[in-house]
Amino acid sequence: MISIREIRKRYDGTAALDGFSLDVGAGELFGLVGPNGAGKTTLIRILATLTRPDSGQATIVGHDVTHEPAAVRALMGYMPDVPGVYQDLTLEEFLTFFAEAFRLRGAKKRAAVERALSWSGLGERRRAYVEQLSLGLKQRLVLARTLLHEPKVLLLDEPATGLDPLARIELREQLRSLNREGVTILLSSHILSDLEDICSRVAFIESGRNVAGAGSVLTLGEQAKREALTCEIEIIGDAAALRTALGSYAEARVLEARQKVFRVEVTGGSQGAADLLRHLVTGGVTVVRFDPRGPDLEDHYRNLFGSKTP
Amino acid sequence: MNPMIGKELRQRMRERRGWLLPTLYLVALGGVVVFYYYLQVTVRRPWDPRGLQGSEIGAALFLVLTYAQLSVLLLLAPVFSAGSITIEKEQRTLTGLLTSLLTPLDIWWGKFFASSLFLVLLLLSSLPVLSLVFAFGGIGPLQVLLATLTTLFVLGTVSSIGLYCSAFFRRSVHATAVTYAAIIAITALSAITFGILMARWEAQKQVRTAQLVAAGTPAAEVAQIPETPPLWVRAPLYVNPYFLVTLSFGTADDWASDGVPSLAVFMVLFLLSFTFAVRQIRKGGEQT
Repeated sequence: MISIREIRKRYDGTAALDGFSLDVGAGELFGLVGPNGAGKTTLIRILATLTRPDSGQATIVGHDVTHEPAAVRALMGYMPDVPGVYQDLTLEEFLTFFAEAFRLRGAKKRAAVERALSWSGLGERRRAYVEQLSLGLKQRLVLARTLLHEPKVLLLDEPATGLDPLARIELREQLRSLNREGVTILLSSHILSDLEDICSRVAFIESGRNVAGAGSVLTLGEQAKREALTCEIEIIGDAAALRTALGSYAEARVLEARQKVFRVEVTGGSQGAADLLRHLVTGGVTVVRFDPRGPDLEDHYRNLFGSKTP
Repeated sequence: MNPMIGKELRQRMRERRGWLLPTLYLVALGGVVVFYYYLQVTVRRPWDPRGLQGSEIGAALFLVLTYAQLSVLLLLAPVFSAGSITIEKEQRTLTGLLTSLLTPLDIWWGKFFASSLFLVLLLLSSLPVLSLVFAFGGIGPLQVLLATLTTLFVLGTVSSIGLYCSAFFRRSVHATAVTYAAIIAITALSAITFGILMARWEAQKQVRTAQLVAAGTPAAEVAQIPETPPLWVRAPLYVNPYFLVTLSFGTADDWASDGVPSLAVFMVLFLLSFTFAVRQIRKGGEQT
């Protein structure tokens, strides 16, 4: 659905993007994470046809963002980090204008505006001026605006910036709901817990490049639980027995060992974790706590970037 | 209809200046009429035994009104055009336009139409004031029409220059300042340049006349030295809005010799600023 190949962009001699590549599949809710200045916004702006890359190729639903911008815009909705609104228009006028800007006319236009008002929950305030809305409601209005032409792909740059916790929760629900309807979403966010909560995969970007190695894309959620889990195991008694048992179990790998508490990576998802627990118990290890978890985005981020701010 | 036009007009008419400016504009023009009429009828004219003629008041009043109108509208044009795209950058709405299916030409046309329409509204609202001159005579409807059309032409070009500045700069204050600088260049600088060239040509003419007289050239031949300045002297005036508007009083010959080149110069300015503005809007995503 979204394909990025070796994309490069320089500003005044400084590389904002330096050969970044990524593939986002149809129906994915994909996160983009990296420290400040890593190139997230530049990448999303290139995909949104606002910025031309110096080299490389990016396509959305098979259309090249550089050479077929109109085709891309018809299929894509973009929400910038600070979404602009016309304060002196009413909500209905604002949405109607953008519906017309997407070449919707007559009944289609009216239906699109009604759908957007209803979807955003702003229908009762349709005659209110945009300036009367809170920041959270303005974000919601702009998101509704990006959906007027029923895009197949949504590009969201830091959509939760400035939102209070309740508005963030609402935004997450809205994105989940859109994703369930089949919209592919690529979003960047500095709020890792939000990404962890809703994304199926997350890509890491640093200095305009993919983070090196296998950690460049992290699978999250249910999918991840079918792959590898990290188990925290606490025992009583001799730790040597646990070491021996783990040593003879090929699907497990010790990540960290602290006296009676071990962190172990086990393959095979939940079934793999259950098999490991059975193996330990039958091997004579007295387990008092066995806590299998999926990949932790914050841990992964810390491992990759240290103390750099996302 | 281009959706930009509806949005722009709606926003403009909701601003306080949407009704305040036409009011102030008409009050100012009315003031000019009253003041000028008062001057004309109270000043003694010992040099003129015929006394003051109505047609002279009409012609002079019309010229003063046309210049006053042009001056006010030249001052107002950047207010509407130079901020119209920069405001989209400042309130971060340009990205929404650029990622919609609106083309840069749609955006330019919507902005141009809306900013020009307000000036046209002002221009048309002043027609009753201009028509006062019919009461004095000396001016016909054709001259009123020509003055209105040339003023429109000048304002269209100035709006186009303002839009280019608006597309080029990020901040309204910079775009407006540069547009005013451009207006000063085409009005004051062109007049000053014309004055300098004219003085130089006059001096050359006097020297040439003196040389011919000294050489004993027959008077008929000396008289053949042209009275009207050549093209290189008149050229700076072709870009001057007041010169173009003054041609409303000219003859068909004046139009042929100076009106058409002046219109062509304004047309070139319009087309250049239009082309660069559309190109700049296309690149506008890099600025937002």
